[in-house]
Amino acid sequence: MGPTRRTMRRGLALSLLGLLGLAGVYVLALGFTPIEARQGLAQKIFYLHVPAAWNALLAFSLVGLASILYLWLHDPRLDRFAAASANAGVAFSAVMLTTGPIWAKPIWGTWWTWDARLTLTLFLFFLFVGYLALRAAVHDPSERARFSAVVGILGMLLVPFIHLSVYLFRTLHPQPIVLKPSAPSLPPEMLRTLLISFTVFTVLYLGFVMTRYGLMLAEELQEEARDAG
Amino acid sequence: MLAEPPRNGEYLVAAYVVATLILVGYWVRLWQKARTVFSGQAPRGT
Repeated sequence: MGPTRRTMRRGLALSLLGLLGLAGVYVLALGFTPIEARQGLAQKIFYLHVPAAWNALLAFSLVGLASILYLWLHDPRLDRFAAASANAGVAFSAVMLTTGPIWAKPIWGTWWTWDARLTLTLFLFFLFVGYLALRAAVHDPSERARFSAVVGILGMLLVPFIHLSVYLFRTLHPQPIVLKPSAPSLPPEMLRTLLISFTVFTVLYLGFVMTRYGLMLAEELQEEARDAG
Repeated sequence: MLAEPPRNGEYLVAAYVVATLILVGYWVRLWQKARTVFSGQAPRGT
């Protein structure tokens, strides 16, 4: 079995483990975490929405860092990693952008509001969908890597603005209750469920990236073999 | 006396179903692509 296939199989196994972990998070969130008094059951969407958002922003930040390193070192592994991370980031963004409005409706009374946090997050999602479309459209590997690295770096620059947008602009979106200079303002049972969910989402991220990386490498090798033949 | 928490469990169910569909769907798509890439002419990894 070649290392390409091994990477992909390990990635699939790791992400499957992540999905099983997600089922565990559902049990923990629904059965063993208290119901928030003011928001009711809808508050438990928090245990999916927030870890998905953290992982999406982590994935897009790593795309930017790998892209900077690619432009410096021209190592195709960095380009492959950036593309795999962007793919996973788009999947997590889809979770964040669908669970967010479903949570907002019963709490804010509206599905969506065009404030800075939500609008910037939607732009970030579109930017990385564009990143993936660009990669699909350019066939020369070195051009594709260079062009997409520039888009990846621009996308990464949005991430700190998204995190700080709740401090900089008037918004309905709550301010951070965990990732802030002072101690997390969450009861311990809720914090425990949130951190376990974050770990599970990170396992999913690693599994998705490994699988996608192995797939891209396999496709490149197949193309090389076809060109040589 | 504390007020009853609001009854909004349908939003919770909707969000959990949507998130599951996205993540499981993404995994299935990766698995199908892997099967296609490695069916027949499996490339040798480097």
